[in-house]
Amino acid sequence: MPVVPAQADVLAPEVAARRAAAPATPTRRAPERRHGRRAAARRGSTFTGTGTLLRFALRRDRIRLPVWVAAAAALVAVQSRQSQDLYSGPGDLDAYAASVGSNPAIIAMTGPPVGLDTIGGAVAFEIGTTVAVVVGLMAVFTVVRHTRGDEEAGRTELVRAARVGRHAPVAAATAAAGAGGVGVAVSVAAVAAATGLPVGGAVVFGASLGVLALVFAAVAALASQVVEHPRAALGLGGAVLGAAVALRAVGDVGDGWLSWLSPVGWTQAAHAWSDNRWWPLLLGLGAVVLLVGGALQLVDRRDLGAGVVPTRPGRERAGRALSGPLGLAWRLQRAAMLGWAAGIALAGLMFGAVVDATLELADSNPDLVALLPGGAGDLVDAFLAVLLAMCALLVVAAGVSVVLRTLGEESTGRAELVLGTATDRVRWLGSHVLVALVGTAVLLALAGASIGAGYGLDTGDPSVVPQVARDALVLLPALWLVVAVTVALVGLAPHRAAAGAWGLVAYVAVVAMLADSLGWPDWVGALSPVAQTPAVPLEEVTVAPLVLLAVLAALGVLVGLAGFRRRDVG
Amino acid sequence: MAAAVSVTGLVKTFGRTRALAGLDLEVATGEVHGFLGPNGSGKSTTIRVLLGLLRPDAGRARLLGGDPWRDAVALHRRLAYVPGDVTLWPAISGGEAIDLLGRLQGGLDPRRRDELLERFDLDPRKKARTYSKGNRQKVALVAALASDAELLVLDEPTAGLDPLMEVVFQDDVRTARAEGRTVLLSSHILAEVEALCDRVSIIRRGRTVQTGTLAEMRHLTRTAVVVATREPASGLGAMPGVHDLRTDDDRVRFDVDNAHLDAVMAYLGGLGVRSLTSHPPTLEELFLRHYGDDAPESPPTAHHAHAAVP
Repeated sequence: MPVVPAQADVLAPEVAARRAAAPATPTRRAPERRHGRRAAARRGSTFTGTGTLLRFALRRDRIRLPVWVAAAAALVAVQSRQSQDLYSGPGDLDAYAASVGSNPAIIAMTGPPVGLDTIGGAVAFEIGTTVAVVVGLMAVFTVVRHTRGDEEAGRTELVRAARVGRHAPVAAATAAAGAGGVGVAVSVAAVAAATGLPVGGAVVFGASLGVLALVFAAVAALASQVVEHPRAALGLGGAVLGAAVALRAVGDVGDGWLSWLSPVGWTQAAHAWSDNRWWPLLLGLGAVVLLVGGALQLVDRRDLGAGVVPTRPGRERAGRALSGPLGLAWRLQRAAMLGWAAGIALAGLMFGAVVDATLELADSNPDLVALLPGGAGDLVDAFLAVLLAMCALLVVAAGVSVVLRTLGEESTGRAELVLGTATDRVRWLGSHVLVALVGTAVLLALAGASIGAGYGLDTGDPSVVPQVARDALVLLPALWLVVAVTVALVGLAPHRAAAGAWGLVAYVAVVAMLADSLGWPDWVGALSPVAQTPAVPLEEVTVAPLVLLAVLAALGVLVGLAGFRRRDVG
Repeated sequence: MAAAVSVTGLVKTFGRTRALAGLDLEVATGEVHGFLGPNGSGKSTTIRVLLGLLRPDAGRARLLGGDPWRDAVALHRRLAYVPGDVTLWPAISGGEAIDLLGRLQGGLDPRRRDELLERFDLDPRKKARTYSKGNRQKVALVAALASDAELLVLDEPTAGLDPLMEVVFQDDVRTARAEGRTVLLSSHILAEVEALCDRVSIIRRGRTVQTGTLAEMRHLTRTAVVVATREPASGLGAMPGVHDLRTDDDRVRFDVDNAHLDAVMAYLGGLGVRSLTSHPPTLEELFLRHYGDDAPESPPTAHHAHAAVP
């Protein structure tokens, strides 16, 4: 771990300078030299208190961090068992390598096709990017929570008023996420080895993910200094993670150099189980030093509670838009929605841009075409269907988070302030629900349009843009149903709503992304609204399931609003 | 005159916590009614029931002649509410929040709004996240006071205000009463209640323990006396109705039940009074009498964290 409980009692430069300049009498000098470390500790450095804060952070996250670590380890364990079952016979791996190793769509989604002739290499290829995203999110959430989150809540002020150096909170938060990274490294290596993969590769794979956690901890530490609010810091950290995944996707499909700009690419460049290279991890550690150094510099240059990017003064009077529950709901959700829109558009463009590479590859690779029933034309459609489903997951996460935000309004007492005026409960919740439903539709169309635009820009055929956008909207009833279930939970069981709603999103995501590759039976996915939707544009649109989903969604919203009308608020 | 607020036998439980255990409250139209009680005694819960945010488990609550749960929206047009702990939207400026709350309320007087901003010395351009607790409170107060609500429901509205702003607030409450508005003022700040309220309800552990005008309550209680006499007042301790007797040097301090005041004065007169001061009990003393004896875990003080929210 590069950040630094151990440095806690090392003198900061300015303290050292003051000591050197201070006239010290000979009688005082000897004891001071002898007890120099203690004297320094008494006087304190900018890192004083880091160790205590780190232990406190780990205590606060004693549930969260292990859950993140367990999730990462579980993904690897499941993938390891699954791959070993699937490719146990002689020649199985060769066939696998020949099929997926040259498929740019799969490469974009997973990682560089390296070491596919080994079972460990196949595991790292399949699950590497997914685990990397989990680990990156763990680091970003942990650090933002303990830096900007505490700062906005006023807890940092309380802590900094004690004998705590100004760099200590950032150092401790980064170290806490680093501890999570160590946990990931150890448990991923352990489960990989325990499920029968070679130990050497397991250690490299685990370590590469541990370094990734540190890199994103450092990214989040810097983001938390730049912007003033935890939400914005999370967005910035998440955007960097998204960009890292996208860069390596484009890089791995292309000639590979873009992957060297991505921390996720460095992780995969370790080539676990094949080359077992350690040196790419040095890139990550170098980035950690630079980013944390930058974050600490910014701590020195800003006031507590302020960002580097200052906040502008607000309006003296409310504009016309801010005059009812709907105006308020839109105002509160606007920034997050624009953030989601930017992220989804970017992801769509990137994904769309690799579609044509798939076509070219299919032209030159008869094996690949032979694998698919419909030939090259269907290959593109199948690819588009997968991309749409993936972007739809982002869209539904946006919709769910809009609805769940009402719980925050309740718990902070802001809902009480509004409902204490002549505002009807149903109109209050309904306004947020409306933003969620319309927002979901707009974001979904945007996802389709940007995939189409990425594809169209690449091929010089812009006519696909509206077509893919239309295809995307076939998924709308399914996403609305997920949002509607969230509304029902908010109305009926507010204390369990967040867990229930995110659990549902996770289920839908797992079914959409993993069910086929894990060979799960069909009934596992039967309850996923996305799985019940025709996989456009590969499959024909059938109206009946869409109508059913829409009706269920309407019902869910009504149940939620009725429940909210009847329950206590606050 | 019809009651603005009428609550009888209100019960509300949260899990195993019994927040309200048969609370009664009667606020007459046009009065400023003080609602006093220590932390967690149920003041905020009562107010939330009156606002239709919580549904009572038992009992009856009427507000401005309507049902607070069923008629919430219609009733809220006629009242304005200031919560005890005002939380605002971090990215929305104070001025925007005031206008928003005013519009949701059914409109506010823009001239009065600006006047109140001036009086409370509040910068409306600042985003709410930069406001202190007191400034957030001012936002809600300005929105409430600039409305034309006939009932003001104020839950510890001055908990974050400095003394200067408290004076401003008291002026505004007096103005509101002069305009014929009704005010329900929950508070820990006894001086504020003494200065403002026509009648007071004291609650404790979800029950009303006493209601009345301050004069009526004082009638029920004791007078504090400090007296210096030529002859030692050694017989005081044996007299009925004398409490908390302390002697320092030639001065004697004690409290006396008003029913026995006459006899005590007659006795002191025979000893040759050199100086005597007496004063009616402060609300603080009333409080101590009601909560001090058997509820030492929640001593009421004048400056206090705001009410616990169940």
